[in-house]
Amino acid sequence: MKRTSMLLMSVMLLLSMLLAACGGGKSGTSEPAPGGETKPTETAQPEEEKDFPPTTLRVFSTFGGTDAAREAFQSVLDEFTAAHPNVKIDNDTLSANDDGFRTKVNTDMNSGNEPDLLFYFIGADAEGFVNAGKVVPLNEILDGDADWKNGFIPDALELAKQKDGNIYAAPLTGFYEGLFVNKKIFEENGLELPTDWDKLTTAVKTLSAKGIIPLSVPFDQSHYLIEHAILSAAGQAGQSKGLLDGIDPNWEKAYSAMKELYDLGAFPKDAATIDLSMSGNYYSEGLAAMTLEGSWAVGGWNEDTRDNSTVVPFPTVPGGAGTGNEIIGGFGSGFYLSKATYDDTGKKDAAVALLKHLTSPASIQKIASANGGTPAADVEVTGLAQVALDGFAMAAKADAIVAPVDSKVSQETFGNLRASVQPVVEGKKTPTQAVEEAKKTEDDNKK
Amino acid sequence: MKGDRKYILLFLLPTAAIMTVFLYYPFFKSLYLSFYRTTGFFDKKFVGWANYERLFTDKLLGAATLHTLEIMLYVIVFQVGIALVLAVMVDNISKLKGFYRTVFFFPVVISGTAISLLFVLFYNYNFGLLNNLLASFNIEKVLWLDAKNALKAVSIPTVWHYVGFYFVLFITAMSKIPQDYYEAAKLEGITGFKKTTMLTIPLIMSDVKVVITLAITGTMKVFDFVWLLTNGQNGTEVLGTYMYKKAMVDQNFGYGSTVAIYMVVFGVLLAMFANRLLKKDEITY
Repeated sequence: MKRTSMLLMSVMLLLSMLLAACGGGKSGTSEPAPGGETKPTETAQPEEEKDFPPTTLRVFSTFGGTDAAREAFQSVLDEFTAAHPNVKIDNDTLSANDDGFRTKVNTDMNSGNEPDLLFYFIGADAEGFVNAGKVVPLNEILDGDADWKNGFIPDALELAKQKDGNIYAAPLTGFYEGLFVNKKIFEENGLELPTDWDKLTTAVKTLSAKGIIPLSVPFDQSHYLIEHAILSAAGQAGQSKGLLDGIDPNWEKAYSAMKELYDLGAFPKDAATIDLSMSGNYYSEGLAAMTLEGSWAVGGWNEDTRDNSTVVPFPTVPGGAGTGNEIIGGFGSGFYLSKATYDDTGKKDAAVALLKHLTSPASIQKIASANGGTPAADVEVTGLAQVALDGFAMAAKADAIVAPVDSKVSQETFGNLRASVQPVVEGKKTPTQAVEEAKKTEDDNKK
Repeated sequence: MKGDRKYILLFLLPTAAIMTVFLYYPFFKSLYLSFYRTTGFFDKKFVGWANYERLFTDKLLGAATLHTLEIMLYVIVFQVGIALVLAVMVDNISKLKGFYRTVFFFPVVISGTAISLLFVLFYNYNFGLLNNLLASFNIEKVLWLDAKNALKAVSIPTVWHYVGFYFVLFITAMSKIPQDYYEAAKLEGITGFKKTTMLTIPLIMSDVKVVITLAITGTMKVFDFVWLLTNGQNGTEVLGTYMYKKAMVDQNFGYGSTVAIYMVVFGVLLAMFANRLLKKDEITY
């Protein structure tokens, strides 16, 4: 008897761990719309004649935690609630540092628990819920409000288009990624900025001999390393093709280049086990001379490092098809308006008004000033560090601004590319094998 | 009693309902999903046994299984072992028993994530506590989480975290042993170490078995320490992190579910095996 109960108990224990894996079921319940039909609100409020029926709007974004624009975003929301006291805003955030927020967004969108406004990626990441009709195209609303539409720079709206040609997300700020360099460390060691591969490898050799980490990147969360290496190896055309229609032989050169850098001692000794925040930490603390990051990271570095930093495009790897002046960036995310909210007469007007407020030139300016992103509106962003201005200049001079490679392949393929970094640089796998394995995953995914 | 039956049934219902919603439904949903190829949340296609075929040729999964077994070995030897030694010692003192019980139990109530973050700061190569200590003795820095050491380094907090839990189970079991056994032993001249090995441990053998089963099933759940310390790199991938990576990071819920099913089957088999191995007559006082 005891044995059966123990067996039962162990089965229970094991089952309990499944919970973590299966949280994404269809167990979510849709929020009943508070407020309901257009209730005549108290008539004794003449000065608030334009206010909406009482309602709560849930806005999901990544402007939380340690995000540089967290406070700016909250203040933009506060402006709206101050002007419209009937509307309550639930500012729902999750850090973008890990992949958890993708799961959260997809679970919400799939289980009838859509936020009223969602700040999320544009492109392949959003394809699932866009194709499922969970969000409304904004084209009509944009055309119906010239003031709002003209607030955006045309390029930003163009880049916000989904594959079907519709705009589903109103852009806020764009981003760029690049090779951030601590000029002070370079000067102290008599090095030139790493504008081509030779200068980069010379810098790596010199710095690693002196015990300074040349290029701080992690192997597991190697998103930016892979994105830059593949873009510079395959060029814009080769990178944009992805892997579905065969392997571009130039992709392998990305991995060969990473191995070359590793053999020269470019990466932190513990690159295999640190995560992005720790690798950013090494750069921020001045222990590393370079890092590969995006514009959003600038705000998080300590002042000394930020003031001494500049940013250059990642140089072309040996034999690569890139021009050395193509950068990764774009208007990769924006605000989506959920279909359920749009169809709910009690919420629609308030949600649309909030959407317009969040993406008005004034709000865009505020957020861009805080996170150093490129504004989606034609506004002057002031008070930025020199490195952010360098970044804008780099983006303005670039031959092409290309979306990162993880938007060109499936999530699992990108996971596979990431997992190959360590084995390749340590010589346990050849670059050819790495790309072939990724190709296989990509094919399996499209079956 | 008979009239109470329907009330008992009534009161059992909520628990059954909660278990169904949060345990059995997800379990069967996993089973269902394991026959599908999924890409994200909106796209799934029936693929028959393809995920299971992949399961048996997946080298990474094999490695993750071996790493899990290695941690299991450390857990059984050190976690259960240390807990037993501590329990025997505390059982033999008369003063400060409660104090030690609290002290040893305390790590159990700290969340694994918090402990992992502490150990991240111990092990870090550039500004970790351990390397700073070494530096102050002019010894060269050590890469604590390299391919050779990483799994052992991850096992240390894993073992340490739960020693207190098993310690409390052991000490409770020991306190249930009737005093006359010891008195009889004393008359026979059996004391000290002999008393422990001949009397105390055999008498709590059934609890040792429970603890070992708990340790085995507990190891199947190891996730937080590995995830935070090494991200599964350098030969530390365990079943929990591998499943999470496949399901959540790669958004391949089909294969992730298949790995989860594998974990259940593997875990149940291990637990059965352990029970068979430890089979012994029950002792009643």
